[in-house]
Amino acid sequence: MNPRHGHGRELRLLAMLALAAAALMWAMPFAWMLVASLRPESASASDIASLIPSGTVGLGNFTEAWSEGTFPLWYFNTFLMCGGILAMQCITVTAAGYAFARLSFPGRSVLFYLFLLQLMLVPPILIVPNLTTIVSLGLYDRLPGVMAPYFASAFGTFLMRQTFRSIPRDYEDAAMLDGASLSQLIWHVLLPLARPGLAAFAIVSVSYHWNEFLWPLIALSSPANQVLTVGLASFTTGAESASEWGVIAAGTLLVAAPLILVFVVFQRRIVSSFVFTGIK
Amino acid sequence: MRKSWRIALAAALGISISAGAARAATDIDLYFPVPVQGKLVIEIRQLIGDFNKSHPDIHVTAVYTGSYDDTNLKTAAAIKAGRPPAAVIMSANFVRSYDINHEAISLDPLIEKEGMTPQSFMAEFWPALADNAVIDGHVYGVPFQNSTPLLYYSVDAFKAAGLDPNQPPVTWQDLVTDAKKLTVANKRYGFEMPGTYDYLGWIVSGLAMSNGGQYFNHGYGGEVYYDQPSTLGALMLLNEMVNKLHVMPPGVTDANAVASAFFTGHAAMMVLSTGALTFIRDNMKAPFKVAFMPYNIQPAAPIGGASLIIPAGNSPARVAAAWTLIQWLVSPDIAGRWSRFTGYFSPRIAAYDLPAMKAYLAKYPNAKVALDQLKYAVPWFDTFETVAVREAMENQVQAILSGRTTPEAAVKAAQATADTLMKPYVDKTALNIPQ
Repeated sequence: MNPRHGHGRELRLLAMLALAAAALMWAMPFAWMLVASLRPESASASDIASLIPSGTVGLGNFTEAWSEGTFPLWYFNTFLMCGGILAMQCITVTAAGYAFARLSFPGRSVLFYLFLLQLMLVPPILIVPNLTTIVSLGLYDRLPGVMAPYFASAFGTFLMRQTFRSIPRDYEDAAMLDGASLSQLIWHVLLPLARPGLAAFAIVSVSYHWNEFLWPLIALSSPANQVLTVGLASFTTGAESASEWGVIAAGTLLVAAPLILVFVVFQRRIVSSFVFTGIK
Repeated sequence: MRKSWRIALAAALGISISAGAARAATDIDLYFPVPVQGKLVIEIRQLIGDFNKSHPDIHVTAVYTGSYDDTNLKTAAAIKAGRPPAAVIMSANFVRSYDINHEAISLDPLIEKEGMTPQSFMAEFWPALADNAVIDGHVYGVPFQNSTPLLYYSVDAFKAAGLDPNQPPVTWQDLVTDAKKLTVANKRYGFEMPGTYDYLGWIVSGLAMSNGGQYFNHGYGGEVYYDQPSTLGALMLLNEMVNKLHVMPPGVTDANAVASAFFTGHAAMMVLSTGALTFIRDNMKAPFKVAFMPYNIQPAAPIGGASLIIPAGNSPARVAAAWTLIQWLVSPDIAGRWSRFTGYFSPRIAAYDLPAMKAYLAKYPNAKVALDQLKYAVPWFDTFETVAVREAMENQVQAILSGRTTPEAAVKAAQATADTLMKPYVDKTALNIPQ
């Protein structure tokens, strides 16, 4: 056997071990969350930090979390919010991304850099101006009001611009020769080719808005409009006391479950999208 | 067929009439933070449900608004955007900022309409609460749920260390001596306290005040006494316990972790709010007791908790409805019920004359310690830009807890940052001299 080949094997094994160790460390909090959520009476359990299930195992924390919150309503509102934001963003970032990638007009690069400047702003600065705007639009305490500030996305525009630019012009030229209109061109030629970019953006967008706390807390008031993050906080955080870890873990799993499920089902496609666009 | 139509029509009419009646009620919203734990959300919704049932002309929606700091942020944003809530359960030390920024209304006219004076109204509450509720002579906040820091200690740990569980530490000397005896390397710390924002500043102010200091000017929002011996001594105590004696864990520990350490026997003593009392009692399996905050020069316990305020910009009808709600919430009966449920002490003195409250104190003598400590109560930290000025000190204390700075450097740095933050207000007020 070729000694060099054997050496490569060792390296591979070493890399595998290192990756496995990293994966294990990454998985630890999730494993702990799962174990803690199944351990009733967790606040005073002496082995609360342990990863090994012990003592009584039960779903008590889940039933407690479920009964303390109105999860079906929160799921519904969160789906609506994330879905609404994403639907609008797909339209705006595709159009803007195309404009910045392919159309030439005066001030294009200045406008593009102005767009990127948005990424530098710390979101909390915009809370009061955004709130004032949605109040004057009559959208205060309504889901469209929470969504509105996100309808345009600097990050998404940037990403789609890069994606469109990476597509060879030959495809467009061929379509044009066949008499395609601009909208047909975008819809039938560019979008299918840009799908991995759009998918990567969708994942970033949905997971960001799914997890967002401060803006929904500020822009929504009625219990009927509440979303998951604010709902979860309402029964798990305490300013002057301690928390029941088991209920928190169970509630957090309930909140994260749909995202985890989507990831497990579409794992291959998600990974390939990120590889394609180079987002980490 | 026709008859059933008529019934349906009548029913629909009835519904629309009752809906109309419901709409005639004044709709108001109450912002509430969750100060202690989740079950309170359910309890507060029940409380508001009871209020709505007994007041058909008012309809209150209870709106959960996160932590005390989140609640402050949401309230301020809502006021600026022109949608002020009718009433807010606001961290008591933020009330002054609302007055300074003209974002809350003085309650004096409402009190006078009831045939009381601001003085006679405040006399219904424990005297120590007035400093954070009455600003520049006017009532801006009505105390609703109040607390002081308490020393919680484990009876088993005291016995194991050969200490008498009936003799908790009284002075700082006792605290250090006992903490040394209670500490078992790699197994148990003698003393723990939360090191996170808000909680840390509150406890540090308590330490400085039990070291003879004032920590901040109670009458004027532009002065803090960070770079003073009383505050320096407080930070030196923490530095000693964490970095030299190792009887307290290094780094920043949050309240959850502190309580968990206490439950699991990894902390023998801890400082937490009286507001955590019910939670600790429900979850601590081993016996525990509570005691006053230990002191060096004089006993002192800073007030914590929240007051009810009415933000500026509400219609007269909403203000009137909010005032009815506030009066109901602090009535002896309701204030007592809330106190028993949470562990906060009831700000309303008369609540303690009710039989239910007497029975509760007899059953849980621990709850009485917080009340007894009230005679040493001192006001809660409030200045111009309260949060930023508070954090100026908290950042430095966290650096001490992590072994990154010395107490001497910390008080100087905190003072400099605080002075810069308060300068605009100081220039406009104390240094604004007629020419």
